Amino acid sequence: MEFEVKLPSLGDDDDAVQGGMVALWLAKVGDSLAAEDDLIEITTDKAAFVVPTPKAGKILRINVNEGDDVRVGDVLCVLEIE
Amino acid sequence: MAVKRFPDWIRQPWPSGAAFREVKDLMGDMDLHTVCQSAHCPNQAECWGRGTATFMVMGNTCTRHCTYCAVNSGQPGPLDPEEPTKIAEAVHRLGLKHTVITSVTRDDLPDGGADHVARTIEAIHAQNPECTVEALVQDFCGAEKDIARVLQAKPEIFSHNIELVESRFHTMRDRRFTYQGSLDVLRMARGMGGPTVIKSAFMLGCGETEEDVHKTLHDLLDHGCDAVSIGQYLQPTPKHGDVHTFIHPDQFKTFEEVAYAMGFGFAVAGPFVRSSYRSETLLEAPVAKARLGQAVEHSHGI
Repeated sequence: MEFEVKLPSLGDDDDAVQGGMVALWLAKVGDSLAAEDDLIEITTDKAAFVVPTPKAGKILRINVNEGDDVRVGDVLCVLEIE
Repeated sequence: MAVKRFPDWIRQPWPSGAAFREVKDLMGDMDLHTVCQSAHCPNQAECWGRGTATFMVMGNTCTRHCTYCAVNSGQPGPLDPEEPTKIAEAVHRLGLKHTVITSVTRDDLPDGGADHVARTIEAIHAQNPECTVEALVQDFCGAEKDIARVLQAKPEIFSHNIELVESRFHTMRDRRFTYQGSLDVLRMARGMGGPTVIKSAFMLGCGETEEDVHKTLHDLLDHGCDAVSIGQYLQPTPKHGDVHTFIHPDQFKTFEEVAYAMGFGFAVAGPFVRSSYRSETLLEAPVAKARLGQAVEHSHGI
C-alpha cells in the first residue's frame, strides 16, 4: 500500500510557520525506513529542522528536491508500507 | 533562493507525533494563541510533544514593535472576557503541572491588561490547584499598580525579560521599552515581596560583547532577580533583524557558570533556551523552594 508523507502542520494559528525550504534529503528512493527515522531536513528562517517519517516503509518516490520551497501539507515522498 | 545554512547546533525536530497533534488540536478548537506558534519557536516539537505550551493572552497583535519578534504589531482587538476560563480549561485538559502565561503588550488598555493576566492566573489556580504558573509580562509602562495586580494573583514565578544587553537594547527593542525601565519592573516586583520567584531572560547573538553579558547579569542580580535564562536570537523571517553571531554552546555554558558564580539561584543558557523553555525546572531549585516556602507560611497566617 502506498502512503504519502506530508509536511505536518505546526498549528492553526495564522501566525504559525507555514513551510520552509528543503535543505537535504537524509534518505533516498529504495531505502527502507523504520517509523521515526530521519527523512529530510527543512530550513525555516529561524533554524534547521529534521522531519521524521511517521510510518515504516520503503521510499518509492521523492516529490520535492533540495532548494524547493515546501508548505505544510505538501507531499514530501511516497512510501510503500505494509 | 539559496538554502539558508545554520551551524550544526541550530537543528531541531520538526513537530509531529500524537502528543504534538493533541496540543495543536486543542489550541485550534479553543481558539487560543500560543507564543510557540506566533514566535515560530524551534522548541515546539519538544514542548508540545511533552504536552506543554506557553499561552499568549490578549490576542496575537502587539502594540509595540521589536525587530526580533515574529508577533504581529498593530491595533489589537477587544479582550475576550472568557479567555481566563478557557485557558484554565485547556490547562485542565492537558493535565499541566506547570504553565507559562505571557502576552502581547497592550498599551491601548488603561491597565495594560494587568487585570486580565491576573484573572487568567487566578482561574488556572482555581481550577487546577496543583498547577504552578509563571507570569511572563511586559513592562506596563512602569506602573506599579499594574505589576502589583499581577503579583496579587500569586504566580509562582514573575518574569519580565530584559531581552537584550544595554549596548544593543535599542537596536532591536521598541523605543517604549528601556533597559532601565525593565530593570525597574524587576526591582518593583521584588520590592513588593510575596512568595514569588523573580526571573528575567535575554538573547545573545545580537552583536554584544562578553563584558556586556556580564554587566547585564550584574544589573539583573542587583535589581532582585533570582533566576536568569539566556538564549540565541534567531531571525524569524527575512524582514526581522539579522543574527550577528551564532554563539557556540560552550560559550553559553560559560555564561551559565558565570551567572551562578555571581549569585543567581538559577541560571540556564543555551542556543535553544527560551524564557519559557522547561520553566518548571526552576521550581526545583533551592531558591524557588525558599521563596515559595513563604507561601506556605503566608497561607497558614504565620
